[in-house]
Amino acid sequence: MKKLLELLKDGNSRTPEELARELETTRDDVLRQMDFLEHAGVIRKVPFMNESNGCSTCASCSGCEGGCAAECKGCVPQNAKMNMGTMWEVV
Amino acid sequence: MSTATIALLGQPNSGKSTLFNALTGLKQHVGNWPGKTVEKKEGSFARNGVTYDVADLPGSYSMSANSDEEVITRDFITSGKADVVCILADSSQLERSLFMLADYAGIDAPCFLVLNMEDVAKDQGKTVDVALLEKKLGIPVMMFSATDTKAYDQFYFTLERALKEKSHINVSELEKEYEKIIGYNEIKEQIKGGNISGYTPMWLTVKYLENDKVVSAKLKESLPADAASKIESIGLDANGAIATGECKFKWIDELLEGAVNKTKTGVKLGKLDRIYTHRFWGKPAVVLTVILGLLGSFIPALPIMAVASIFDVLKNVIGDALVSVGCPAFVTGLVCDVVIQSFSYIVKMLGFVFGVTLVFGMLEEVGVMARISYVFDNTMGKLGLQGKSVMPFLVSFGCTMGGAAGARVIDNWGQKVLTIALAWAVPCGAAWAIIPMLSTVFFGAGAPLIIVVLLLVMILHMWITAKIFGRTLVKTEDRCGMIMELPPYHKPKWGALFRYVFGRTKDTFFRVVKVVLIVCLIFYILSYGSGVNDTSILYKVGTAIEPVTKIFGLPWQLFIAFVASSVGKEGAVGVISALYAGGSYGEGFMAAMSGAARAANLNELLLANVSRPEALAFIFAITFNLPCVVALAATYQEIHSVKWTAKIAIYYTVGALILACLAYHVGLMIW
Ligand SMILES: Nc1nc2c(ncn2[C@@H]2O[C@H](COP(=O)(O)OP(=O)(O)O)[C@@H](O)[C@H]2O)c(=O)[nH]1
Repeated sequence: MKKLLELLKDGNSRTPEELARELETTRDDVLRQMDFLEHAGVIRKVPFMNESNGCSTCASCSGCEGGCAAECKGCVPQNAKMNMGTMWEVV
Repeated sequence: MSTATIALLGQPNSGKSTLFNALTGLKQHVGNWPGKTVEKKEGSFARNGVTYDVADLPGSYSMSANSDEEVITRDFITSGKADVVCILADSSQLERSLFMLADYAGIDAPCFLVLNMEDVAKDQGKTVDVALLEKKLGIPVMMFSATDTKAYDQFYFTLERALKEKSHINVSELEKEYEKIIGYNEIKEQIKGGNISGYTPMWLTVKYLENDKVVSAKLKESLPADAASKIESIGLDANGAIATGECKFKWIDELLEGAVNKTKTGVKLGKLDRIYTHRFWGKPAVVLTVILGLLGSFIPALPIMAVASIFDVLKNVIGDALVSVGCPAFVTGLVCDVVIQSFSYIVKMLGFVFGVTLVFGMLEEVGVMARISYVFDNTMGKLGLQGKSVMPFLVSFGCTMGGAAGARVIDNWGQKVLTIALAWAVPCGAAWAIIPMLSTVFFGAGAPLIIVVLLLVMILHMWITAKIFGRTLVKTEDRCGMIMELPPYHKPKWGALFRYVFGRTKDTFFRVVKVVLIVCLIFYILSYGSGVNDTSILYKVGTAIEPVTKIFGLPWQLFIAFVASSVGKEGAVGVISALYAGGSYGEGFMAAMSGAARAANLNELLLANVSRPEALAFIFAITFNLPCVVALAATYQEIHSVKWTAKIAIYYTVGALILACLAYHVGLMIW
């Protein structure tokens, strides 16, 4: 995991697959390291859009009559959160 | 009748609840752990004359003290309340899920290991040598499937065995790993003296190395003063948890070595991903994808545009009818030029909204958008931004407001301001409606080319803007890369996609109708000069400022449309509708109505009155103008700085005019 964090220091983002290749290990191994680092508070998931702040920001945006949905329906497609993948940043 | 207490321990989704429910059935009690909001689930069942009390411990990742759940779990186990702890792991991903076991190792409570999800592992072709695992671990181990009722006999059998054996995990190999950590032996030496029940010195040492607050406090309390001060003098690594975590993973790997048929699949990438994630070809591939996407948007848009020409016919027919019944010219103009003409434009615009939303919604559904954000991540770094800035940019293609709000995930203020400032340059949904529409009006088949040029200029614009604002807003700090998990490609869900596309088109329709009609009406009235141009105020003001606006290549009518576009891009269309077809050209209009030149519809009027370079200048001006007043407000809301909001707004207005001027002169050279 130290090596993983060391790699990220160069500023380039990577997919778990790329990390696995560079660390000469498997994708599963990278995923469990990420799991660990997330729980240890070393990395964190980047919240998608307005996930973290309810729908206050949606109020002004058309297409959000649906109430307090986690994402801004009018601005992004329904499954955007899923289809856009997940980002983790080093805290 | 004897009783025994078993505690279920496992990471979330290990199947703990399924097992708990199957064991206890209706004999459950749900409450709260004392003083905590964490749910406490207890139940019981009887078997072979023994009553078993089952405690479903709150799901947690490990045995560290990061959350209430974990502390509760740990305290329960070490208090000795459980006769045996049943540790669950997911056999389909043992490398990952055995972490709980590794973190548990060293706690002084008997346990056994249940490898759940046997069926899933089987489907993946994984087999586990349970006997070997038992030998290595020294505790009962079993394969299990909590959802399979037939599997429970084996479970009861193993449970009884575990209760009889009361065995602990063999930690000798694990400790060998820990011993390699600097300071481990020294600390353990001191801890040995103290006596904290429920934990082994090894476990306490490891948690101490991990900066576990609860353990540190306990040690301070129970250790003799000199031992406590001694371990305090041993400097701690802030990332101690990572070092011990690596030991645990290594131990797991050694444990699984030979016990699991490792189908070590190399990392395979799809053809498409090999291009998108290519260090060099990634960027051109993405830009090409976006360009093709935009061009592709024209395909669904064109049939809808064709529908709009019905309005042109309608306008003539209704115009004729109104004139023939002796309707006053003002009213005729109002109906034909304001209402019908506006609708003709609105329908055309909707064609593009539909096309762009459909194509990009599809790219997103399929998973290509995620690749786009991945590829641009590295570019963000060059602009001095975090990778997560890419999301607000992508959202801004739909709505700049959404982009500004999306920038909230960026903690650094300067980076947030810069992100929003750049997001403004991304043409929003309204721009994608108006610009292709105007481009087709002025340039016909050349419109797609104009769109591509605009896109390239947008990239340049963002780069220059980043250079201008970046210097004061962001420091060149060391940026850490992110980990981006890309979703697998999959077929779009057409139902959801079309619901989104129609929803957006509908929303845009209502917003656009409001703005265009109101703006058009206002300007129609302002410019209505009972057929004589130069009596309207607007005309006088317009011709007065025209020498200045001509510098930017804009006739006064277009300049006013440009000003209106800062309120909302749709406004520009309202102004054009009113100023070109309406009052100020009243004479031409009356002539047309009287039959002399019936075909003189707005498009032809526009083409007759606006030269191509002027049109190009106008398209650039409104594309790169500030997005709309609401986006301005949203920006202020996010960055809380009047100064910066104003700075960005002025920058965009001036920038748009400069770009218009450049486009005009380039246009003059071409045509
Ligand atoms: N295929 C399969 N699914 C299981 C098995 N055990 C549990 N599940 C499913 O895994 C999911 C998570 O189980 P749950 O008991 O809620 O996990 P918990 O979070 O640990 O309580 C549920 O959808 C269960 O139906 C199993 O042995 N095989």
